[in-house]
Amino acid sequence: MIAVLGLVVGVVVGLFVRPEVPAVVEPYLPIAVVAALDAVFGGLRAMLDGIFDDKVFVVSFLSNVVVAALIVFLGDKLGVGAQLSTGVVVVLGIRIFSNAAAIRRHVFRA
Amino acid sequence: MSDADENGERNTPAEQEHRLRRELPAEVVSGPGAPGAQAPEQSAEPQLTGRQRLVKGLWPPRVSRAQLTVAVLLFVLGLGLAIQVRSTSDNSALRGARQEDLVRILDELDDRTQRLEDEKQGLEDQRTELENSSDQAEEARKQTVEKERQLGILAGTVAAQGPGITMTVTDTKGAVEADMLLDAIQELRAAGAEAIQVNDVRVVANTYLTDGTGGKGVSVDGHKISQPYRFKVIGKPQDLEPALNIPGGVVQTLEKEQATVAVSRSEKIVVDALRAAQRPDYARSSSQ
Repeated sequence: MIAVLGLVVGVVVGLFVRPEVPAVVEPYLPIAVVAALDAVFGGLRAMLDGIFDDKVFVVSFLSNVVVAALIVFLGDKLGVGAQLSTGVVVVLGIRIFSNAAAIRRHVFRA
Repeated sequence: MSDADENGERNTPAEQEHRLRRELPAEVVSGPGAPGAQAPEQSAEPQLTGRQRLVKGLWPPRVSRAQLTVAVLLFVLGLGLAIQVRSTSDNSALRGARQEDLVRILDELDDRTQRLEDEKQGLEDQRTELENSSDQAEEARKQTVEKERQLGILAGTVAAQGPGITMTVTDTKGAVEADMLLDAIQELRAAGAEAIQVNDVRVVANTYLTDGTGGKGVSVDGHKISQPYRFKVIGKPQDLEPALNIPGGVVQTLEKEQATVAVSRSEKIVVDALRAAQRPDYARSSSQ
């Protein structure tokens, strides 16, 4: 419950406080958000499976974000930033879908 | 490594659970599990379905370390999500665009600028052209006005002013006749007089002078004028004055008739006697 509240508060703060993001970080923000979403879906699934562990969740969340940003950063340096970020989004999207499928099975039994 | 990875790769959650419990005995907390949940309780939990765990986790709200850490991370996620959505909807694609896209956009903008510059150039040329042509019309109009003024001065329909001379012929004896004044006028014209006025009568091309009835005075264009005859003449003073004063000229002739003649130059002569413009009955302009 508190976790859900955290998400809601985050969205509200982001929308109304309008924090300035440093220009350096800006290009990686969308990818980082998608990676974090992936971690969150993974965590939700683990919770439904009864194997949720907050430490694992923290590590996976942070590493997902960092790795995704790193890949895009590297891609930008190599000149294939657009393609690589597309690739990252595709991979994360597939994982999100598969996790969502598992969650759906748990919640709706279907 | 993430939960999803582990979950996705291992097919049996139970096995996974065991491994985790072995690795992190103190920290394993099942989603819905209370902070104090111990291993024995958890071993009982597998009977719970996922849905039950979800409900348990959601309600009643419990403050546990797991909940708090997840809340913090989700807060960060929500923040990032909101910022990203906001900046994407804020100012189009530019904010989050990467370098090569920006370069492409810049190129397109340059092209567009170039095209607009060309268009602007064309339009400016057109404007210059139009201005020139309207200038020409304006110029023609000005010239027409100027010409009208000049012709007006010649025809005596407008007042004129400029440098010139004043000649006053005082004829107390009444000896001065029309032909003498005509001589004077012609002498003045020959010397370049541009506008002439005798007393209150403007002298123009078709001016005629006649002797007054009874040998007294002179009529100019039918207007009787009397001495002193005051000529106001616009022209170059240096030419007009000598023309009158030459030996055997107008002044000498008049003085021979016992008249006194005074000629004075002036920088500003105003010829303000006017004549009405007459519309010719038969002659018509043959030009446009």
